Amino acid sequence: MTVATSRHLTPASPEPAGVDNRLVVGGAPLTWRSLPTPTLPDPAAVLARSAVHALTAARQHAVHGTELLLSTASRVDAVMRTELLTAGFTVGVLDDDGVHPSAPARPRAAEPGRLWLLTSGSTGRPKRVGHTLDTLTTVRGDQPERTWLCPYAPGTYAWWQVVTLSLTQPGQHLVVVEPDELDDWPTVAATHRVDAASGTPTFWRRTLYRDAEALARVPLRQITLGGEPVDQAILDQLREVFPTARISWIYASSEAGASIVVHDGRAGFPVDWLDRETPGRPTLSVRDDELVVTSPYHGAGLAGPIRTGDRVQVLDGRVLITGRLDSDEINVGGSKVSAGVVRGVLTGHPAVAWARVTGRRAPVLGRMVVAEVVLAAADPSGADTGVPDEAALVRWCADRLPEHAVPRRIRVLTDIPVKETLKSDV
Amino acid sequence: MHSLGCRLRRMNELSRAQIRDLMAQVLKNQDKELPADDAAQLREIGFRSLDFSELALRVEDETGEELNFDAPGLRRIATVGDVLDFLVELQHQ
Repeated sequence: MTVATSRHLTPASPEPAGVDNRLVVGGAPLTWRSLPTPTLPDPAAVLARSAVHALTAARQHAVHGTELLLSTASRVDAVMRTELLTAGFTVGVLDDDGVHPSAPARPRAAEPGRLWLLTSGSTGRPKRVGHTLDTLTTVRGDQPERTWLCPYAPGTYAWWQVVTLSLTQPGQHLVVVEPDELDDWPTVAATHRVDAASGTPTFWRRTLYRDAEALARVPLRQITLGGEPVDQAILDQLREVFPTARISWIYASSEAGASIVVHDGRAGFPVDWLDRETPGRPTLSVRDDELVVTSPYHGAGLAGPIRTGDRVQVLDGRVLITGRLDSDEINVGGSKVSAGVVRGVLTGHPAVAWARVTGRRAPVLGRMVVAEVVLAAADPSGADTGVPDEAALVRWCADRLPEHAVPRRIRVLTDIPVKETLKSDV
Repeated sequence: MHSLGCRLRRMNELSRAQIRDLMAQVLKNQDKELPADDAAQLREIGFRSLDFSELALRVEDETGEELNFDAPGLRRIATVGDVLDFLVELQHQ
């Protein structure tokens, strides 16, 4: 577990600037100001019972500077709970009756203004990373008025991104979908006139796959992707449905904070952004195929260059983030293959809605590239795109990739797998 | 399945002829043909290590059993017959 070191913290303020922004939770119209104001323990690890309780805790933090780790019961297991109690947190579920606390094993003074995130922990145990509202706020300065969709699990980095935007900027409203509404979010969003939405590529692929027509009825003007590698295919598919929307992708992590924002509708970022030093902005570099970020918005105790663990590849003047270093590289008989690049080729096929590419144990070569795909629903325009079989997809890849990178076994799944983080570990 | 014991597990095994069919499929996907003659040279028909690996994965997928690639020692695999013999043998490891 990481431990906070002191950094300048945001002092408690009477009310955040966005306090009168509109909130829609479970269909009910609210504002930040109309939320209940329960007393939170300090420091507190709050496990929000539902979306509205999570927003309540966030607002209480913004007003009182309560040291806060916000999560849900499903993301904090018994081991993590013990760790938090040992680290001096009062741990409790927040519901309509307030917090039901368990007292800390070792009580300690709170650190005013401190916010804690549990990283999604794609490898190993979740880690605690210290932030403040300030280091979690990416968007500053005047923004056009927007109503944002918030599809994320409470307390995750992505959730805080949308929540801090609405808390700190007047005119940034939120429509929060609960997990059980997630598959039907376009209906909720169209009803409440959502015009800006942020989601993982998996989230967008699932939405396009399930009901592209319902998605097209949401009056989106801003589409944001992040949290997973963003390939050209998903950007192009969204552009087709929303020809005039601004489509952006963001690279951000709990550790390094938001570091890259790209609005030109293309995958990757221009190679001349590398090693460019601008005061107040993150510096991006590549070392041994790994993206390294030096950011003013990093987590507590993480000053200096942060090795992100994300693998990059420079292709046609763009720096592509292809996946996690420990899982993206597949060694096929001594030749290196990027799973992300192969995935990009597969999702570039008009009939493929989603793909996962992995290495599988094989004789002679050690590992071999294999894939799982979900095929797109029939083309709504009625055009016959045909349903490709395994051999057709292998040929598609063979025409576009070196021989050793071609997935030789491709399994067709019936639905896009997704986790609570809206990622699918591709 | 495993609990049914070793004798029954053999029911999952592929015959030499079945492996030959899978080998033909691997080649057909590349618009190549598998000669009927077991003595045909792999080099001549263009069946290379990537193809051999793919065939092994297909055998695993058909039987639902993992092959133990480390078990047998190195050997020379030069003909169609060598490939078939090797994979039949691997299923016994």
